[in-house]
Amino acid sequence: MRSASMPPAAGTGLEPGFRGVICASFGSTGDTAEQHSGGRPRHDLRFESANPETLSDLRSALGRSHVGVRLVLAGPQSDIRAAAAAAAECGLLEEEVILLSDGMGPSVIYCPHCRITTTVRAASPEVACQGCATTLAITDHFSRRIGAYLGYSAHAEEAS
Amino acid sequence: MTVTALQTGIHPAVDGGLLLEVTNVSIQTDSIVSITFADPSGGPLPSYVPGSHLVVQYGTGVNAYSLTGSGSAPSEYAISVLQVEDGGGGSVAMHRLSVGDRVQVSRPRSAFAPVSTATHHLLVAAGIGITPILSHARAAAERGIPASVIYVHRRGAGAHVADASELLSRGLTELIECTDRGSFQQVLTEKLTTQELGTHLYVCGPDPFMNTVLDQAREHGWSQARLHSEAFGAAELDEGEPFTVNLVRSGIRLDVPAGVSLLETLEKAGKSIPNMCRKGICGECSLSVLRGTPQHRDLYLSDQEKAANTTMMCCVSRSDDPELELDL
Repeated sequence: MRSASMPPAAGTGLEPGFRGVICASFGSTGDTAEQHSGGRPRHDLRFESANPETLSDLRSALGRSHVGVRLVLAGPQSDIRAAAAAAAECGLLEEEVILLSDGMGPSVIYCPHCRITTTVRAASPEVACQGCATTLAITDHFSRRIGAYLGYSAHAEEAS
Repeated sequence: MTVTALQTGIHPAVDGGLLLEVTNVSIQTDSIVSITFADPSGGPLPSYVPGSHLVVQYGTGVNAYSLTGSGSAPSEYAISVLQVEDGGGGSVAMHRLSVGDRVQVSRPRSAFAPVSTATHHLLVAAGIGITPILSHARAAAERGIPASVIYVHRRGAGAHVADASELLSRGLTELIECTDRGSFQQVLTEKLTTQELGTHLYVCGPDPFMNTVLDQAREHGWSQARLHSEAFGAAELDEGEPFTVNLVRSGIRLDVPAGVSLLETLEKAGKSIPNMCRKGICGECSLSVLRGTPQHRDLYLSDQEKAANTTMMCCVSRSDDPELELDL
């Protein structure tokens, strides 16, 4: 879907002081953000996934923007949640961000024991933490700041 | 005179507060005086959140005034009061205070706090609205948070101009004084369109001024969560139509005549309703409505809460229906 006229992703092409709508899509999501710009100036960003590099591009785009800007994030839950967390760090407020999730997708689990997050692709009540190998029970408690569900050491209360 | 005023009893709004002594009175402008209070025994006073106000008793009444300090470990509380000739009498009483007088005050109350995650505060004041804005500016300077002050005042009649200027050498980012509408409009538009994403806006001044600033901010795309305002001048309200209230739990019906507030009617009937500002600002006198459509005239409830018609501020709000049923 990348059109020839679409600017490259690295925050370039965004004039300093932009106060329109930034539409960032992740993965193979189509051009879902279009109907959410409400006729305001619009800047598109397309990313494969939310990773340190693409999030830094998003941060630099937001760093060039001024109060008044809106952000539309489209794609899998885990990507748009990570992007929303990065946007909040940049000073964007919750009501200035629209999340367009394209369905379930993988979820991200935060380990409070080692503070590393682990991505879970299939629905599962438990996951082995990527950081410390603790078996984590997955809860419904979601942190918007971290963009992840809280995990905790499973079976910790059972006598071994 | 203050001593005799105290003998009239402690008003509920300042009950559990502090008995302080006036330690300084200084003239700011023709109509604005600054008053400093301290503990008579010289002890420290409770810290407060920037933008907080103090409720001060005068005679049998109380009034709320913004504190002008940063709020961090204060040894004194300072307020500045604009004399309002046709007001409720509080400002006139404040202007009569002199060093050594004792006054009963509340503990500081926070209703205009800075946002802790903000990376820049855009502080906009008009006239006496400088008081809480000065508190914010002082706190931001102390804490090393960038802050810009836009201060609109009549030429030569601005209170605390020297205090604000002095902050420039202590960390305040900028101070822009405007003494005419045109220059203020230019500054405001420029500021509203050039702020980095971590900026929050705080405004205090007369209602029409605040509405202008907030409306323009919204037009420039500022979301509601970035906008913070401190209302001190409730608009003059008309006397309204008479209506009846049915107090369901008490099993009594009361007539509220035109020109008399529901709060006054309830008080006359012996009901004790917590209240403070009596102007529809503070939210203390909230009542639950069981049936009927209140005529909301307060500045406290959100539009959504007003539309729900389940809560009303009995100090200013009345009824669109001939009768209201209240959970009292």
